[in-house]
Amino acid sequence: MTVHTLTASGLSAGYGETEILNDLDLAIPPGKITVIVGANACGKSTLLRTMSRLLTPHRGQVLLDGKSIHKTPPRELARTLGLLPQSPIAPEGITVADLVSRGRHPHQNLFSRWTRKDDEAVDVALTATKTVELADRPVDELSGGQRQRIWIAMALAQETEVLLLDEPTTFLDISHQVEVLDLLTDLNHSRGTTVVMVLHDLNLAARYADHLVTMTEGRIHVSGRPEDVLTEATVRHVFGLESRIIIDPTSGRPIMLPIGRHRMATGQDVKEDQP
Amino acid sequence: MTSLTLNAIIEGRQRRGRRHFRLVGLMLVLVLAIFALTLSVGQSITPPGDVLRVLLGENVPGATFTVGQLRLPRAVLAVLAGLSFGLGGVAFQIMLRNPLASPDIIGISSGASAAAVFAIILLGMKGPMVSVFAVVAGLGVALLVYGLSSRNGVAGTRLILVGIGVSAMLESVIAYILSQAPAWSLQEAMRWLTGSVNGAQIGQALPLVLALVVFGGLLLSRSRDLEALRLGDDTAAALGVRVNATRIMIIIGAVGIIASATAITGPIAFVAFLSGPIAARIVGNNRSLLIPSALIGALLVLAGDYAGQFLLPGRYPVGVVTGALGAPYLIYLIVRVNRTGGSL
Repeated sequence: MTVHTLTASGLSAGYGETEILNDLDLAIPPGKITVIVGANACGKSTLLRTMSRLLTPHRGQVLLDGKSIHKTPPRELARTLGLLPQSPIAPEGITVADLVSRGRHPHQNLFSRWTRKDDEAVDVALTATKTVELADRPVDELSGGQRQRIWIAMALAQETEVLLLDEPTTFLDISHQVEVLDLLTDLNHSRGTTVVMVLHDLNLAARYADHLVTMTEGRIHVSGRPEDVLTEATVRHVFGLESRIIIDPTSGRPIMLPIGRHRMATGQDVKEDQP
Repeated sequence: MTSLTLNAIIEGRQRRGRRHFRLVGLMLVLVLAIFALTLSVGQSITPPGDVLRVLLGENVPGATFTVGQLRLPRAVLAVLAGLSFGLGGVAFQIMLRNPLASPDIIGISSGASAAAVFAIILLGMKGPMVSVFAVVAGLGVALLVYGLSSRNGVAGTRLILVGIGVSAMLESVIAYILSQAPAWSLQEAMRWLTGSVNGAQIGQALPLVLALVVFGGLLLSRSRDLEALRLGDDTAAALGVRVNATRIMIIIGAVGIIASATAITGPIAFVAFLSGPIAARIVGNNRSLLIPSALIGALLVLAGDYAGQFLLPGRYPVGVVTGALGAPYLIYLIVRVNRTGGSL
């Protein structure tokens, strides 16, 4: 397996006239799990969309193995770089196996037939996501957690060595969130897949990331090991929130505890300033 | 262990594939059966042997005119128009992931109709030139609707609403031009309002066959990309589909095929709109709907025309029959989409 480098340099991008990313530089460590966090509207999703060719940058470029992804033919790019968007749509009544099979799209063309290799990729994807027994079921009937595993299975069937995921845990309850993140970590360990994802939950981000990236106002604030990145100062700068950081006794990773205005152990709630 | 699950996966895929092809085969048989029925049973009954001899070019007294001049052109045109409407309609519905995004709802059929009426009545055009005119106008309307509804990308709902508005405007243009037509027969006027295959001539089939080969071929060649688009534009792009380029190809193919058919038969009401959802209900959504939907379109027009001629009290153009079928479905769909925000 080759190790792929993915970097963004001088990246400015947005929708129409509005610029959301502003002269951003980022290097994704190959073969690691990178998690991007930041406040709402800081440009996390825009960054992921620009890094996967869904959005063309106004300035700057995204390089995969030194080659601009916006100059790579899309089908060729889709064999190396996969993306699971925030809300993919399952056609009504489609079965799990058929949905996962669609991940094979970039490996096929108008005249090629479905081959054993395609079946094997689907098999591996279903097995890795523990969804083999769901193969013949309609996707509509599945729970949210199962459905998310199916979408990840589709991205796996695409057999890309770099996988970007936009909030793969949204709408899932906590046990399914952990399940999905464990699954992605398994993939990273067993296949060396480079994983880049946007997450909302800071503590899960710090727990699962090898490399934690914080964003604010369309730029990278700090990035590095979660232990170094997740500090009270970072949380204050990125989220405008006072917090305490303690160490998780299970993982040894930092945990962020928000400090609000109420429920202080001293019994002394902080009063809002009177106008 | 792995080979066990692999075999189960292969077996499941083949089973679903066989089921799909069986159902598509069944539709094809039904189309052929109704086609044969319309050739041999009408006001009078022609024995199948005689029908066959007419088709082979023999001169059969009493049958050559009825079958060769009346029934055959009508049936052929019904099949071709049905295939065109079914194919073009479902391509639009899938591309925009909304069953309401059918060309007969968003103004493309009425654009082609208006152009055809304009060309025939006011410019005195005839034959293939009318089709060319209708295709160009259909593309123009498609571009107009697309342009008016795009703001940071095209949202399906906005496009549908703009299309309904444009469609209403064009309907009034058609009504105006028809009112200007001197001594215009009621039946001919009906063609441009609801669509019909009355007075079909075999020569009219040629432009439709050409359109099916060129534009239908274009649509079928994009079938895989269209399937990827059903997962959402972002997912499709992540799978390596050039989303914008694919959209343009689909619009050209679908508008071309719909406008060509409309120029000849008029906008046969709701066939483009109904075929895709009916096909999806029958074969499911695991495989491409293009061919199943085309076959359902052919079935609807053939059966609708036959019912309009012989099964109902009185005689109606096919568009009246398909219109009566389609309208309740449209209401159902609007109620349901309103409630769930669902897509095709």
